[in-house]
Amino acid sequence: MTIFNRVIPAVLVAVLGLATQMAAAQDKKPIRFGLCFDLSKSYTFISPQVAQAAQDLAKYTNDNGGIAGNPVEVIVRDHGNEPQRGVECYEQLKREGVFLFNFLSTPVTNAVLPRAMKDGNIVLQSFVGRGDAVDGKVFDWIFPVGPTYWQQAANDVAFIKKKMGGNLGKAKIGFIYLDYPFGQEPIEILKTLSEKEGFELKLYPVPLPGSDQASAWTQIRRDKPDYVISWILAGGHVVASKEMKRNGFPIDRYLAVNWLNEVDINNIGAQAAKGILRGTNVAGGQQVPLVKTMLETFYAKGKGSGPESLVRDVYYNTGLAIYSVGIEAARLAIKKNGSPLTPESMKTGFESIKDFDANGLMAPVTVTPEDHGGGGKTRVEQWNGSTWVPLTDWSADYTDVVWKVIKESSSKFTVK
Amino acid sequence: MDLILLAELAVNGVLTGLLYSLFAIGLVLIYKASSVPNLSQGGLTMAGAYVVLALAHDMGLPLWVAIPLAAVVMFVFGMGIERVALRRLAGRPVVMILMMTLGIDIFLRGTTLAIWGGTSRSVDLGVSYEPLFVGDILVSRIHLLGAAVAILLFVVFVLFFRTRLGIRLRAIADDYMASWSVGISVERGVGLSWGLASIVAVSAGIIWGEIQGVDQSLSLLLLKGLTVAVLGGLDSIFGAVLAGIILGIIENVGSAYLDPFVGGGSRDLIMAAVLILTVMLRPHGLFGRTDIERV
Repeated sequence: MTIFNRVIPAVLVAVLGLATQMAAAQDKKPIRFGLCFDLSKSYTFISPQVAQAAQDLAKYTNDNGGIAGNPVEVIVRDHGNEPQRGVECYEQLKREGVFLFNFLSTPVTNAVLPRAMKDGNIVLQSFVGRGDAVDGKVFDWIFPVGPTYWQQAANDVAFIKKKMGGNLGKAKIGFIYLDYPFGQEPIEILKTLSEKEGFELKLYPVPLPGSDQASAWTQIRRDKPDYVISWILAGGHVVASKEMKRNGFPIDRYLAVNWLNEVDINNIGAQAAKGILRGTNVAGGQQVPLVKTMLETFYAKGKGSGPESLVRDVYYNTGLAIYSVGIEAARLAIKKNGSPLTPESMKTGFESIKDFDANGLMAPVTVTPEDHGGGGKTRVEQWNGSTWVPLTDWSADYTDVVWKVIKESSSKFTVK
Repeated sequence: MDLILLAELAVNGVLTGLLYSLFAIGLVLIYKASSVPNLSQGGLTMAGAYVVLALAHDMGLPLWVAIPLAAVVMFVFGMGIERVALRRLAGRPVVMILMMTLGIDIFLRGTTLAIWGGTSRSVDLGVSYEPLFVGDILVSRIHLLGAAVAILLFVVFVLFFRTRLGIRLRAIADDYMASWSVGISVERGVGLSWGLASIVAVSAGIIWGEIQGVDQSLSLLLLKGLTVAVLGGLDSIFGAVLAGIILGIIENVGSAYLDPFVGGGSRDLIMAAVLILTVMLRPHGLFGRTDIERV
C-alpha cells in the first residue's frame, strides 16, 4: 500500500468529519431574541421584569438542551422609549442576524413596525403597539399574542354583566382612564357595548401621569357607578385606591387593566387593597409551575438573572408568558421545517400554536394566520389580602364586536 | 348648576393649588437670588423624596427623624450644586445657567433611576384616607396637610426675608453688582437660596410622594410649579401662593365642566392657557417686579 493509499482515506475521513461537525454546528445556530427595551425612562416599571424573565427562560431552555439542540440567546438593549433609538436598535441587531424582536413600548413598536413588515422580520408585540396588529392577514409579521386593550375592555364588560345577573340594562359603568392614547383606546369599544347592552357609560379622564384624580373621583362619588373600569398605570392605581377610600367607593368594584402589579399592591397596602379586581391574561403569583421552576432552579441557588424581588411580580410572569410563546413557536417551527430557523419558518411556528398555556401560566392561546392575538382570552382576578384569586375562567367575549373594530382599523394600514 | 359640587371642586382646587405653591416656592427662592428659573426643581423634589425614603425605609429611621435629616442632606446638596456647577457660570449669559439647571435635572433623574429603579415607592405619613366631610363637602386630609405646610413655609419665608440674612438675599435679588460692591457675598447668597429651595423640595416631595408615590413622575411637577411661579410673578412668594390657589380653582372647576364637552384633556389645556396668557398679557405675573419685563 502506497502512502497515498493510506493518507487519502485518512484525509477523506478527516474532511468528512469536519464537514459533519460544521453542518452540526450550523444546525445548532443560536436562536436570538432581540429585546430593545426602555430600560431608562417610561417603561421601567415593567421592562426589567420582562427582560429578566426572558433571560431566565433562555437559560432554563439551554440547560435542558436548547430548542432541538439550538441554544437560545437573549440580547437586551436600551432604547429609552425613543422611537429613533428603537429603530437604531432594530437596524443594529438586524445586521447581527437577529430576526425576532420585541420593543415593549407603543411609540417605538409603531415606529419600527413598517420596517419590520418590509424586511420580513418577526415582532413580538404583546400588550403594546397597535391593537389591530392581531389581524394576521394585514400584519403578517407581527405577533401581539395576548389580548388587545379592546378585547380586555370587552371581557371586563362581560364580567360585570355576569356579576349583575346577566343584564346591564340598568347598570352604570364608569371608565377612569389616563387621558392619552393608552387610556383612550378602549373608549370606542365601551361606547359600542354601551349601545348594545344598554348600560350607561360614564367617562372620567385623568391627566398624565395619573396623580391628580381628585375631581374624577368627586364625580364618581356623585354618579355612583356600579363598577369602575380603570385604564391607569402603576402609581395611578395607588392614587385611585386612596381616592376610593376618601370618597367611600368600594374597592371591590374597581376593575383594573392588566397593568396592576405587586409593587402597586404593596404601595396601596396589602390589606387596604383587599378586594381590588384585575383583568389579566397571565396567572399571577409564584405558585404557577413555570415561575416555581425558575425560583427553585435558579433563585434558590443564587443563579437567577437578576434580583429575586423581580420574580415576585406579575410582570415577571408576563415576561415568561411572552417568551414561552416565542420559544414554543421556535420549537414548532424547527419541528415542522427543521434547522436553521428562518423568519418564514418562525412565522409558521407561531401560526401553528394551538391551545398553548405554558403549563397554566397564561390564557390558552391559539394563533392562526388570521388571528395573531391567539384568541384574546382574559380572566378577572381579585386580591384577597395576600394573593390573587381567579374569579372567572379564561374567556373572550364580544369577539364579533372587537373584530369589527380590528378590521375597520387594520383595513386602513398600508406599508409604504 | 349643582352648587355643592361647584363648592367641593373649588375647595379641593384651593388645596391642590396650594400643593402646587409648595413646589413653586422653591422656584421663587432661586429666582429671587439669581434671576434664573430653576429647571431642576422637579428633579430636586424627586431627589428629596428619595432621600427621605432611603433614610426611612432603607436605613430604618423613623419618619420624624428621616424628614429633617433629609432636609439637612438636601440643603447641603443644594449649596453644593451652586458651588460646583453654578458659581463658575457667574457673568455668563442667563441661557447658559438655564441650560445648566436643565442638565442638573436630567442628571438627578438619571441618578435616582440608577440607584432606586423606576418602580414607584410609597410614603406613609400616617394620614387617614377615611372620608372627611365639612358640611356637604368632602375634603382630602393629605391635601389639607400639604396646604398647611405650604402656608407655614410661606410664613417662615416672609419672616426670614425680614432677618439680616434675608435682607442680604433681598439685596442680592435687587442688584447683585451693588451687593458685591458693599461686601455682600453674592455667591453665598445664591448658594443659600439653592439650599433653602432644596429644603422646600423635600417638603413638596414628601407630600406629593404620599399622594402619588415616589417615582420619576414627581419631576413632572415642574410644569405645574413653573406655571404657578410665572402667574404669581417669579420673584414673589406671596404671588406663588395666590397663583397656586387661582390655578388650582380654575383647573379643578374648569376641567370638571369642560371635560364632558371636549372629551377630556382640558386640565392640561387650562394650565397651558394660563401660562401662555400670563406671558402674553402680564409677563411679570400678578405680583412680580415689573422690571422683569425688561430683562
